[in-house]
Amino acid sequence: MRLIVNGAAHELTAPAHETLLTTLRERLHLTGTKLVCGRGECGACTVLMDGVSVYACLTLTAACEQPITTIEGLGREGALHPVQAAFIAEDALQCGYCTPGQILAAVALLNDNPSPTDDEIRRGMSGNLCRCGAYPKILRAVHSAANAGAAGD
Amino acid sequence: MTKRFVTTKIEVEGREETKVVELPSRHPAPWGDDATLHIVGQRAERMDALEKVTGDARYTADIQLAGMLHAALLRVPIPRGRVTRLDLSPALALDGVRGAVTLDNVERIRIDGLQLFEHDVRYANQPIAAVCADTLEIAERALNAVICDVEPEHHVVTVADAVAPEAPRVRQNGNVPRNTPRTLSRGDVNAGLRDADVTITREYRTPVALHTALEPHGAVADWSGGSLTVWESTQGIFLTRSDLAKAFGLPLSKVRVIKNYMGGGFGAKNGASHATYAAAALSRQLGRPVRCVLDREGEQSDAGNRSCTTQRVTLGAKRDGTLTAIKLVADVALGAAGWLAGPGRIYHELYTCANVHTVETFAYVNTSPMASFRAPGHTEGAFGLECAMDALARELAIDPLELRRRNYADHDQDKSRPYSHKALDACYDQGAERFGWKKSRAARRETGRLRRGVGMSSVVWGAGGGPPAYATVRINRDGTIEVLTGAQDLGTGARTVLAQIAAEVLGAKLGDVRTILGDTERLPYASNSWGSITTASVGPAVRVAAEEARDALFDAAAGVLGTEPSDLEAHDGEIHAKSTDKCVLIRDVCEKLGDVMIIGQGSRGPNPDKTAIAAFAAQFAEVEVDVETGHVRVLRIVAAHDSGRIINPTLAESQLEGGIIQGLGYALFEERALDERLGLPLNPTMHDYKVPTMSDVPAIDAFFVDSADPVANHIGAKGLAEPPIIGVAPAIANAVADALGVDVTEIPLTPWRVLARLSSRA
Repeated sequence: MRLIVNGAAHELTAPAHETLLTTLRERLHLTGTKLVCGRGECGACTVLMDGVSVYACLTLTAACEQPITTIEGLGREGALHPVQAAFIAEDALQCGYCTPGQILAAVALLNDNPSPTDDEIRRGMSGNLCRCGAYPKILRAVHSAANAGAAGD
Repeated sequence: MTKRFVTTKIEVEGREETKVVELPSRHPAPWGDDATLHIVGQRAERMDALEKVTGDARYTADIQLAGMLHAALLRVPIPRGRVTRLDLSPALALDGVRGAVTLDNVERIRIDGLQLFEHDVRYANQPIAAVCADTLEIAERALNAVICDVEPEHHVVTVADAVAPEAPRVRQNGNVPRNTPRTLSRGDVNAGLRDADVTITREYRTPVALHTALEPHGAVADWSGGSLTVWESTQGIFLTRSDLAKAFGLPLSKVRVIKNYMGGGFGAKNGASHATYAAAALSRQLGRPVRCVLDREGEQSDAGNRSCTTQRVTLGAKRDGTLTAIKLVADVALGAAGWLAGPGRIYHELYTCANVHTVETFAYVNTSPMASFRAPGHTEGAFGLECAMDALARELAIDPLELRRRNYADHDQDKSRPYSHKALDACYDQGAERFGWKKSRAARRETGRLRRGVGMSSVVWGAGGGPPAYATVRINRDGTIEVLTGAQDLGTGARTVLAQIAAEVLGAKLGDVRTILGDTERLPYASNSWGSITTASVGPAVRVAAEEARDALFDAAAGVLGTEPSDLEAHDGEIHAKSTDKCVLIRDVCEKLGDVMIIGQGSRGPNPDKTAIAAFAAQFAEVEVDVETGHVRVLRIVAAHDSGRIINPTLAESQLEGGIIQGLGYALFEERALDERLGLPLNPTMHDYKVPTMSDVPAIDAFFVDSADPVANHIGAKGLAEPPIIGVAPAIANAVADALGVDVTEIPLTPWRVLARLSSRA
């Protein structure tokens, strides 16, 4: 099959039951997407499918017809996505393990709602757990990215 | 000649140890409140944030080596019994399965006193073997093919059952660890109770809580040429190295442990674990690198936990609130292994009282072993003591904050020694001010469906750090600077604050300094990052190393500028001669030196004699309780902390917020549920074990009453990782009690527990 990740096309032969998370991490070596619960409970494996957030652990690779964006494809040093820049500026991370998923969830949220309220951010981000408790700073980072015009990127 | 090696006392997580330390090469004047500092104390960005937001930060589970195999642990789903048959041949016959380790082909290795892969089953989900395959999927499938017969035996999961006569034995030597019950006493508690005008007695209960670090325990091991290299998600690379060397009979020089990034520890990742030994043994057996990382169910059911406690508390006081007696009788169920992290010590520390008596009974039970969890013991103890203080305040009709002020402890009473510095009074003042304590108390609502209340709690935690810790500072020919130390950054910000200290001393630009941590082969020793000790332990070593490097740099610069080193000062990457006003860039001095490398070495000196070093806090909460649904909503939390000098306020506040949010989870949701009859954990998933989400988090105003503690150490800093969790649950419980007008004696405050409390009053 053909899988488009971060703009690059990959020809793959993956078993029908293989999850997108396994394909990304083990076949494509894109380890920024994290395995934490493996069953859609924590949001750490959040990636974008055509701009919409999905849990890679609950998505079958064989069903991925639309292009996938992972954290590696969002923005790089010198050309960070506004959400990445806001996470750095607001210190919206500690250990960093949930951070790729948090950032992609925030990007999807802002794509859908360019200027969310506090409550909309809390609801939109509550599927992404952070055990270090960076939530207050993540809330600020999402606001600050919204103000910087992150939506639609 | 002065002595080079001396002994000193170091407190880690409430345990005081005597250690030999090396005196540092120099003793810098302490940075007191009047020190002029430009980088230390400033809000700098987290040094490794870029790697974390781009997905480049590589954690243990992300390590992929050529030819790497994958291992999975076989666990026994019964709480007690004996393995009578273990046949791995059907698993080994599967395509892609490469090998296995069991008790029969691995050294006798002990973890917390229990033998690795032993056939005596002491808790549910205990591992008894590991299987290794080309992929994780094949390894996990192979586990299902293993034939394993277990003869179940009766189990015990409560302290009462474990200490009963004829109880089933959790461990060969019985169910009661040495030195237990642990009795700690000062004065005469019965006389104190006789002197009291008022006494109150309550029984409090705290749950088993799970660390739930997002990155599970795990390792990648590569055994090659007689040497072992292990990437491990650990708070202690050197302790993990010692564990591995001892287990496999290797010299320390042939074991290398690396931890660059890790996805949280919170106390549970302090040495080699089942996964580490399995990966290492399999790598040796198969001649290929092996990754063994726990799955989520393994992490939630067998990777450490905070022990549950029962605390029967009696307080005696005079009519004016003066405490005359504090008494605690506590039970602590450790699981099948663990250390004595009891709730008792905080009862001796927090308030002035001549008569204190605590008795803690610890017992082994057939559940998974406990591990240190952010302020172990004190977090549990604070819930009992601080809720009892509020019950006493209600009995005496004294403002709870005023009651605490009237019993202020101005020194360490157990050891009759002063505190290096104690600003808890400032925490009370500034916390109450920012919370609006008096006004909020007056505004509480005790009628209607939504009740509002406020509560608070005091916090104390020994957080002085100590030796040994070493650091090297070296300056490259382009003027960039490397700080090298074998410490760990768990997400705390250690990398950043250590760089700030070096940049401060050297007068360098912070952006030119890089901290390199987490590699036993290349870095000098630093201890585990536990007990909130890293900044206070390693920071002074970095300062000494940077001073040594600065002296060499100034010697070189003095030649360039035609002056004496004592005439020089450096700032923002530039060295300046005070007498002539001439300047030279650090970079240009180093370029002239070429490959002559400036290297400074530093070590951590001993702690001050006969001095207690502790961090303090006052934490305040406002809650709203729905008396029809039992739902508790925390509206806001204010936390005023004394942790001495704060090197980087942004990162420090982040850590306070994180600790407070974990405390909120402990107060409201977090509880390992156990089927006592079957001895099985019921919620080893992230769906069923509830940690806080962004929706649960209230407005948090967490801040420092910033004042240096120059007696503690010469950078004036104390620890801050653990204090923020300690007072949150009692502050919230006291606020709920205030809202409802009933005592709250058990956490987590789930809706059914709140409703049960309300209906028992009616």
